[in-house]
Amino acid sequence: MITAGLADALRSIVGPRWVKQRPAELTAYDSDALPGYRATPSFVVLPASRDEVIAVVRLLAQHGVPFVPRGAGTGLSGGALANDAVIIGLNRLTRIHAIDAGNRIAHVEPGVVNAVLQREVAPFGLQYAPDPSSQSACTIGGNVAENAGGPHCLKYGVTLNHVAAVTVCLPNGELVQFGDPASERDGYDLCGLFIGSEGCFGIATDVWVRLLPVAPAVRTLLADFPSLTDAARAVSAIIATGIVPAALEMMDQATIRAVEASIYAAGYPTDVAAVLLAEVDGLEAGLDADARTIERCCREAGARDVRIARTDGDRARLWQGRKKAFGALGRIAPHLVVQDAVVPRTRLPDVLETIAAIGARHGVAVCNVFHAGDGNIHPNISYDASDHAQAERVHAAMSEIMQACIDAGGTITGEHGVGLDKLGYMDALFTEPSLAAMCAVREVFDPDRRANPGKVVPVHACREWGGRR
Amino acid sequence: MTTSPTTSAGPSPLPTCALPDSPLAKAAAGLDACVHCGFCLPACPTYVNLQDENDSPRGRLLLMRRLLDGELDVRDPDVGTHMDRCLGCRACETACPSGVPYGQLLEATRATTRVARPVPLVARVVLGVFQREMLLSLVLVGARVLRATRLPDWLARVLPARLAFPFAMLASTTPARLPQASAHDRVLHRVRVRASQARRTVVRLDGCVMRGLFAHTNAATTRVLSATAHTVRSAPGQGCCGALHAHAGDLDAARDMARRNIAAFERVPDALIAVNSAGCGAMLKEYGHLLHDDPAWHARAEAVASRVRDVSELLADRLLPAAREASPAAPTARDSAHGAASSPPVRIAYDPPCHLMHAQRITREPQAVLSAIPGVELVPLVDADQCCGSAGIYNLVEPDTSDAVLAPKLRHVADARVEWLVSGNPGCLMQLGAGLMRSGSSTRAVHPIDLLDHALQAAPAERVGEPDLA
Ligand SMILES: Cc1cc2nc3c(=O)[nH]c(=O)nc-3n(C[C@H](O)[C@H](O)[C@H](O)COP(=O)(O)OP(=O)(O)OC[C@H]3O[C@@H](n4cnc5c(N)ncnc54)[C@H](O)[C@@H]3O)c2cc1C
Ligand code: SF4
Ligand code: SF4
Repeated sequence: MITAGLADALRSIVGPRWVKQRPAELTAYDSDALPGYRATPSFVVLPASRDEVIAVVRLLAQHGVPFVPRGAGTGLSGGALANDAVIIGLNRLTRIHAIDAGNRIAHVEPGVVNAVLQREVAPFGLQYAPDPSSQSACTIGGNVAENAGGPHCLKYGVTLNHVAAVTVCLPNGELVQFGDPASERDGYDLCGLFIGSEGCFGIATDVWVRLLPVAPAVRTLLADFPSLTDAARAVSAIIATGIVPAALEMMDQATIRAVEASIYAAGYPTDVAAVLLAEVDGLEAGLDADARTIERCCREAGARDVRIARTDGDRARLWQGRKKAFGALGRIAPHLVVQDAVVPRTRLPDVLETIAAIGARHGVAVCNVFHAGDGNIHPNISYDASDHAQAERVHAAMSEIMQACIDAGGTITGEHGVGLDKLGYMDALFTEPSLAAMCAVREVFDPDRRANPGKVVPVHACREWGGRR
Repeated sequence: MTTSPTTSAGPSPLPTCALPDSPLAKAAAGLDACVHCGFCLPACPTYVNLQDENDSPRGRLLLMRRLLDGELDVRDPDVGTHMDRCLGCRACETACPSGVPYGQLLEATRATTRVARPVPLVARVVLGVFQREMLLSLVLVGARVLRATRLPDWLARVLPARLAFPFAMLASTTPARLPQASAHDRVLHRVRVRASQARRTVVRLDGCVMRGLFAHTNAATTRVLSATAHTVRSAPGQGCCGALHAHAGDLDAARDMARRNIAAFERVPDALIAVNSAGCGAMLKEYGHLLHDDPAWHARAEAVASRVRDVSELLADRLLPAAREASPAAPTARDSAHGAASSPPVRIAYDPPCHLMHAQRITREPQAVLSAIPGVELVPLVDADQCCGSAGIYNLVEPDTSDAVLAPKLRHVADARVEWLVSGNPGCLMQLGAGLMRSGSSTRAVHPIDLLDHALQAAPAERVGEPDLA
């Protein structure tokens, strides 16, 4: 229960400045990057160390108060929103404890920003492979919780493939370590289970990430297409050759135009229906051949032009444009819905056509910017919510789009997580026994359901399952 | 108890505007562009150093939104605290993919809340002085006299930190004693000027603090411009640009000052306006926006604003990169024969003023100017794009945050091990100069034009290419 004494007790742990309670101070924490949603937390607590995190979690456990971990609040599924729960911000835990270049592992606190980690390991010729488009702002803790991917996960895999171990403060305040920084351990892969748990299994207080050597050579290509379908066909053709590109990203015209109007303008052609950004990396030998093969696939699929980035600066610019694309969409209209679905790659051309048809039928403009290589699409719709009729059309269109993805054998989230936003789709996607199994797993970590309550698994599913016990 | 009325999660309804006709309401379209992506967080010095999302750009934009929606009151002290703590450095703008015009929104918010929440006394006094030409001149003369006594140097060392800082700022404006190059270096290292450029007529913004405490830099600006095929004319009647007032939300005062400057510069109609203070340049370039709602002045303001150039913009196409010695440690046979070895290059670092980099978006030109200065080595500065905490009169009204923002800057400067820290804005020069002085560092802050002028004084420029057209 939340009592007046609780706030004082929290203050005595973290210091008065780091407990937020008044309405204006809670404002910044009442939303994350998911547009249109907000929820006001009871308090916001900003601990500075693992010990403070543990003390705060223990105190909340004693009082039976639910809590929600928060990193940088760049999540796109509302995962860090707290409705009558306490937000525990991890953004002050920013120490990089160790970089072990020999064993290619780094021990970091959860509040370390992804791009900061990249910057710190770069002098060792190393990189942390997961590179979400939000990497300049999002935290490693948030990446672990959402099992974040990025353009380069096509070749290198997602967060799950690059975390060796985590220390977790369980919802009862107990500290446990999953995985082993030094070796593969036998037994259940609890570290793997924790990754992607969206803050429902406890708080990651330490993360050991695996590092990779920076690829010695790289080629980045930009191909432009007269239609989205042609671009999608090029994607399938490239994959069919057996080449594993490091990244394969697609943007449609509306997105390209928004990016080109922004500070991150990358020089994409604005008069084409779509561009495909492809990258191959590895040893120098053979790369040019791969680049030529990709170029041929693009041209055969109907590309108007294919160019190769000549300098590092050129390449960086092409990537900046892609990575800031979602943000640039804010220029189009005041409101935005963002989606995140995965469809089998071979179905990309027809799914994209279906999406365009749904958009046209409802009279809404769908922008596409996505990780084409693994079929992870992000259809986004910009609109003006003050026009109620339009808003309703947008939501109707989005539901149909998501259903179309599910019908195509796909799923409702590739990397943004279920959080709050996708809760409603879980019933359509999973059977009752599957949902019950998820609840059962959750209860092992969080029997009182106090860690990020109301997220990921629909509450009714848990209730039904609990009732059958 | 602690929760606000709208606690339910879900798409929130759209409220109506609670502050109709306020400056903030007029700027509201800019708020709509924010998609909450959070990309501005790591760019914001107050978020990075204070670690609280209330002190982040996204957090402040949300506060503005709630003020407009009427969920928060303009008198709310927390709103005031977090708005006051904003440096107005606009680093959030150059990080924002969505083009949120943060600087304009901040000014509009301050103008809106100002009615209910008066600015602090220190700020009122300072702004009042800068608004009155006579008084300002008097204060600046006083400051110069005080500076000449060297008393501020001593006070900066003996007083407790908070009291010492303003004296350290004043002391740091003493014209820098730049190194004397050897006769040999003077011959070898000359500033190279493109001879083929057409002559341009310019008029200098004299500024207020620039005129009062950086008269040497103003003089250097005129000399440097003259040496690079500019005819420098004067525009009497100009005064303080009004930036301090605009940033504090006193838009009416800022508009008065803008009108006066516009009239002054209209008297020299065809000249470009050369500005050596980044903050003033940013303000002048935004006169059109400032006087947007004044039908009699808007077009005139736009016309003057379009003529404004930072001095680096004027110089970049006129200067050629200085010849860099391949290896200063290995003098050539001829050098040894003459018994003169060239001295190793002087290490310098560039700290871009926020109002140059983020507000005016000028990054290439200052680099071009610095690369034209012979005998120096430009050392990279970590997090150079972060504010130094000066921000107009911010360091006087928000000393704690200002210190928090300055501290990492001083650490990075120390790591760079440079003799000179170069920045083209009086506020930054004073903040950095005072910070360096108080931390016992031997690095000194200097305006890039002073460095360039010094090189030109040592030896006349070498003209490269065809002769002048005019
Ligand atoms: C423009 C844009 C582009 C994006 N691109 C990508 C992309 O390419 N790939 C991708 O995967 N995602 C992407 N995202 C989504 C988002 O950035 C990621 O989900 C990211 O991992 C969230 O990190 P965060 O620190 O902001 O976490 P938050 O948003 O603060 O939190 C996200 C979830 O993690 C939980 N959490 C946070 N920290 C911890 C912790 N220490 N322990 C336990 N749980 C915790 C929270 O409770 C919440 O449920 C993008 C977002 C934006 C705005
Ligand atoms: S970067 Fe721009 S759009 Fe993104 S949160 Fe900041 S202000 Fe808003
Ligand atoms: S102007 Fe500077 S201090 Fe203010 S919100 Fe933007 S980045 Fe932060």
